[in-house]
Amino acid sequence: MRNVNFSFTTKITFDDYVHDHSFALRIIPPETENQHIVSYDVKISPFVSTQQTTDAFGNNVTAGYLRNEHRFLDFEIRGRAEVNSEIKRTDYMPCYLYKSELTAPDEELAAFYAENRDRCSSTDPDTRAEFFSGLLSETMTYQKGVTDTDTTAAAAFKRRSGVCQDFSHVLISLLRMDGIAARYIAGLAFCDGETHAWVEYWNGSCWNGIDPANNCRTDDGYLVVSQGRDFRDCAVDRGVMFGGYSRQLHLVRTELK
Amino acid sequence: MSGIKVEQFTQAVGNADEINELLRRYGVKFGIYKNGVFKEQFFPFDPIPRVINAEDFKSIEKGLVQRVDALNRFLFDIYHEKNIVKDGIVPEDFIYISSGYLAQCEGISPAKGIYSHISGIDLVQGKDGEWYILEDNLRIPSGASYPLIARELTRIACPDVFAENNVTDNRNYADLLKETMENVNCGGIRAILTPGRYNAAYFEHSYLAEHTGSVLVQNDELFVEDNILYHRTYSGGKTRIGVLYRRIADEYLDPLTFLPESLIGIPNLMEAYRAGNVAIINAPGNGVADDKGIYYFVPKMIEYYLGEKPILKNAPTYLPFYEEDRKYVLENIGKLVIKDVAEAGGYGVVFGSDLSDEKLEEFRQTIIAEPRRFIAQEVIDFLDLPILEGGETVMRKADLRAFVLSGKETKVWASGLTRFSRNPDSFVVNSSQGGGFKDTWVLSR
Repeated sequence: MRNVNFSFTTKITFDDYVHDHSFALRIIPPETENQHIVSYDVKISPFVSTQQTTDAFGNNVTAGYLRNEHRFLDFEIRGRAEVNSEIKRTDYMPCYLYKSELTAPDEELAAFYAENRDRCSSTDPDTRAEFFSGLLSETMTYQKGVTDTDTTAAAAFKRRSGVCQDFSHVLISLLRMDGIAARYIAGLAFCDGETHAWVEYWNGSCWNGIDPANNCRTDDGYLVVSQGRDFRDCAVDRGVMFGGYSRQLHLVRTELK
Repeated sequence: MSGIKVEQFTQAVGNADEINELLRRYGVKFGIYKNGVFKEQFFPFDPIPRVINAEDFKSIEKGLVQRVDALNRFLFDIYHEKNIVKDGIVPEDFIYISSGYLAQCEGISPAKGIYSHISGIDLVQGKDGEWYILEDNLRIPSGASYPLIARELTRIACPDVFAENNVTDNRNYADLLKETMENVNCGGIRAILTPGRYNAAYFEHSYLAEHTGSVLVQNDELFVEDNILYHRTYSGGKTRIGVLYRRIADEYLDPLTFLPESLIGIPNLMEAYRAGNVAIINAPGNGVADDKGIYYFVPKMIEYYLGEKPILKNAPTYLPFYEEDRKYVLENIGKLVIKDVAEAGGYGVVFGSDLSDEKLEEFRQTIIAEPRRFIAQEVIDFLDLPILEGGETVMRKADLRAFVLSGKETKVWASGLTRFSRNPDSFVVNSSQGGGFKDTWVLSR
């Protein structure tokens, strides 16, 4: 068990005024069997009234609507949590066994799976998950700036490179082809100044975490912020706005201590 | 024709062209996309009504109520406990590979537990007189306004015919719809959301809005604030919406929950819905129950949820997913109709008898490779109905879309949309495939 202080800051800047801006944030870590959120404080600027709901995957959603003209949206969360990775989560959903938008394999990824699946003789999900994560770390290179948040598992695999999001999508795709339910986790981890992504797979009775970008098991240094079938379900912020802006600048800073 | 003389009626109605001219003037059209081009097409009306006698209708009615009640129970179950899967009645795969299943709807409890408020159930009558269910439409079934307006026009042309023949008045559709909307209203006005005039059913949206006293809205007039759905008024104020009859597909409903590129949706509508502040008609996620693959299981659902024997029959259906069925389908493909479960609107329907031996073999291989993608059905020899063509009566295939409304009680509208194929050799009667429609008379005795 570990006590952690976490913070997460995002600044979205537009180069012109926007209005009628609706947004949904997934920034408040969920209370789960193995993480207790002791306290937290959310600040959103410009001032806007917000509402909380819990979505289908168990994420806290903070929704708001900024009607008047503005040029930025800043949000920040600071809080304290107790993480205990010894305790395992059991909130299973069958949809995690089936392909999703960003994890559906193409022929190349399916062929890669078919070529390699028998190289691990074990039928134990824990062993197989480790095998596939190891396989990925041999096959793909960690590289920033070559993929974005819309990149599919198939596209990242084709170029054999990407970031934690891409590693997670490809691993999820492989695990689901293997008949192992797997979900995408967006969160904060030690040694990382940005948001991190990893994978939880169902071992038959509970979820176990694995971090394919680092090819290691997750521990008390990982704080779950959101979870879902793939990144789409977990986006930190999703928004729709009107106005003559042409680009938005996104700055993110995270801290886990 | 149960004692009604076709000639007498059509004479009284006058020239069919005249009625069609009136319909044209009223704007009774539907839109159609072909090769990326939008076209508005006239939906031709045939003046000879389909007549259903009182006794037949009573049994159809009971069967439809039973079916829709079971489907509503199924939807609630799938998005909550999933007992029907746990109990092994419906294989898990059929739920989760269905494009109509929306994981984002897990755990949402719509007002009064109703998912399918307006169900369009397609039936055909076989030559043996038996009615068969062809398809359930639980998303946004359209078409109710066509028989309504056709009845209005024929009533003007020959008012006596309806009284003399004991035809049940069908003008209550709007009242039924209004009742259905009010039953789940979460506090606020009623609104009908249309994607705009280029939609295939725009005529119907405006017609129903007018007749139910609902506001006809487009997405840019709506917004969600504090998880409440509002209509922006001209004066800059806002009016709360308590029930939204939306006529846009699930995937486009909320760009912050579903397709981010949707320009016709309402951001955070799903949050307002999940919070119980607005009812959405029909509920998002219903596609999992009207999937062609799930159709096979509906009679089993009726037994599972209601403990009753199904009153209305499915067309004999085979699932290549099951080995025994697959064997039958591969051997008999030449006489079956094969449907791709992912397609709608008469697309993805193939009659084995239309295929060359080579194509049949190709199709067999596709079925072996992707057994879950298809269902196969016996071709029902359905009853032909008379239609007028160039002053002559000819016989054509026709189906019936019955409308079932689930409000406080589940009710079947005593009318419906009878669609016919204009092509004498075709069994496909969908309006998007160029067919026409008839009024449907339900006799009161």
